[in-house]
Parts: sequence; structure tokens; C-alpha cells
Amino acid sequence: MTCGNALLQKVYETGFALDEVTLYLDTHPSDSQAMEYYQYIQKANQDAVAAYEQSYGPLTIGQVNASTWIWANNPWPWEGGM
Amino acid sequence: MWRYEKRLQYPVKISQTNPKLAQFIISQYGGPDGESAASMRYLSQRYAMPYKKGKAILTDIGTEELGHWEIIAAIVHQLTRNLTPEEIEASGFGPYYIDHTTGIWPQAAGGVPFNACEFQSKGDPITDLFEDLAAEQKARTTYDNILRMVKDHDVCDPIRFLREREIVHFQRFGEALRDVQDHLDSRNFYAFNPAFDQKQKPCSPKKTQ
Repeated sequence: MTCGNALLQKVYETGFALDEVTLYLDTHPSDSQAMEYYQYIQKANQDAVAAYEQSYGPLTIGQVNASTWIWANNPWPWEGGM
Repeated sequence: MWRYEKRLQYPVKISQTNPKLAQFIISQYGGPDGESAASMRYLSQRYAMPYKKGKAILTDIGTEELGHWEIIAAIVHQLTRNLTPEEIEASGFGPYYIDHTTGIWPQAAGGVPFNACEFQSKGDPITDLFEDLAAEQKARTTYDNILRMVKDHDVCDPIRFLREREIVHFQRFGEALRDVQDHLDSRNFYAFNPAFDQKQKPCSPKKTQ
């Protein structure tokens, strides 16, 4: 499934990979291979979020990096815009 | 999408257990004016909110309420740590203990389980925001009622914080209601439901020729 926006698609993909590996690590905390993957995907997710936010605005409320309050400007996820 | 932040919005550090008080305070976990109903109410109402200020405030207060729900659970948990069967029996915590041991379960102070009828999502922004304003006041009254029963500063302090937040949320919902009304016909705010109607009265009288 794709969302039609390449930058957001990357956030979806790395975000889900992060969800998946963190649950696995919760029950397998000493799996060093999973830990390596976590570090890789954590960075990829941070980069994807930063790239998306630079073009489309904040994904989380603590990341409004603008001189005005742009939190409510973009479409909301339930409106099908994301 | 939500991600968990591993901290409480306001710290809870209670040294003295008090199962009787826990039974009162659990009402804000799963009672009629509690934090679970608050969060579900606002997060559910977002979909019928046509205006951006309202969408933002419902999302962000609904999110904060989840944090309050966690604070209440932390208070109840700390008030019921390391209890002996004798303390449980003497405090009146017995009926809760029999069903849940000292686990956290959403119920009102009187034992009534949480259910979704404790809030409404009416699909009409004016109706929903009046419900939200009332909900914040009802929660504030509940915290006032709890505070009369609390002697311990460790418990008072986070409860006072939560009570203050009800007042702030009431203020913000009032502003959101004004914003909704500013989008509507000032001669008749109820002329149509902006979440449903295409700007005409649902049942407008037929024009006479």
C-alpha cells in the first residue's frame, strides 16, 4: 500500500518497522541482531520524519518549528489527506 | 498515531498507602466523569468537527486526558501497594480486592463498571462542545469532592494539578465553541448542523408561490 506522498510513505514504512522491532525487543531484549536493526531503523525513521516535517509541517505537537502556530493548518489523518 | 512517553504528565510519589482513598479516587479512572470517558469523548468527537481550531483542541485535550488517566492509575496503584488482608478488610477495599486483587480496573467509586454511555459523541459540534464544557465541570466537582477527603499532601498535590487542568480545558472548549459559532449564522446557530447539513435547515418550510 502506498499513500501517494513519497516522504510520508517513508515515515509510514520506517514507523511500522520501528513498531515491529520494538515489540520484538520488549520480549527479546538480548537479541543483538534485533538491536542493530533497531538502531538502523531508528535513524531511518528520524530522517524520514525530519524530511517530511520540513516540507509538510509537524507530525507531533512538540515539533512545531515555525514562527506561527501551524499545528492545525494541514489536513488531519482521518480526512484522508495522509 | 500515538507513541508513549515514559513519564507522567505530573509526578506521583505517595509514601503512605490508603486503600479507602484509592476506592474514591478510582472513580476518575473509570467513573461517570472520569479521565477515560474524557479521552474517549474528545478523541471520538473529532471526526464530526468541521473547523480546524476544534479539531486541534479535541485531539490535543483528548491526548492529554490519556495522560491524566495514567496519573490516576499511578495514584491508585501507589495507594494500594503492599497491603495486608487485614488492612484490606478494615478499609472497605475488600469488594474491589476480591474481583481485581490490587490490579487497576476502570470502575466508579461505587463499583459501577466503565461504559461508553458515560459520554456522548453526537455528531453536532455545538452539542458536543456543550457536553465537553459540562464534562470538565463535572470532573472539577469530582476532584473537589476527592480533595475534601484527602489529608495527605502526596495525594493532594497531583489531584490539585488535575483539578486545575479541568478549568483550563473548560476555558479552551469555551473558545472552541465561540469559534464554531463564529462560523455559523449569528441569528440562528442551530439553522443547520455544519457536520451534516449542506447549509440549509434540515426541515425548512416549503416556499409559498
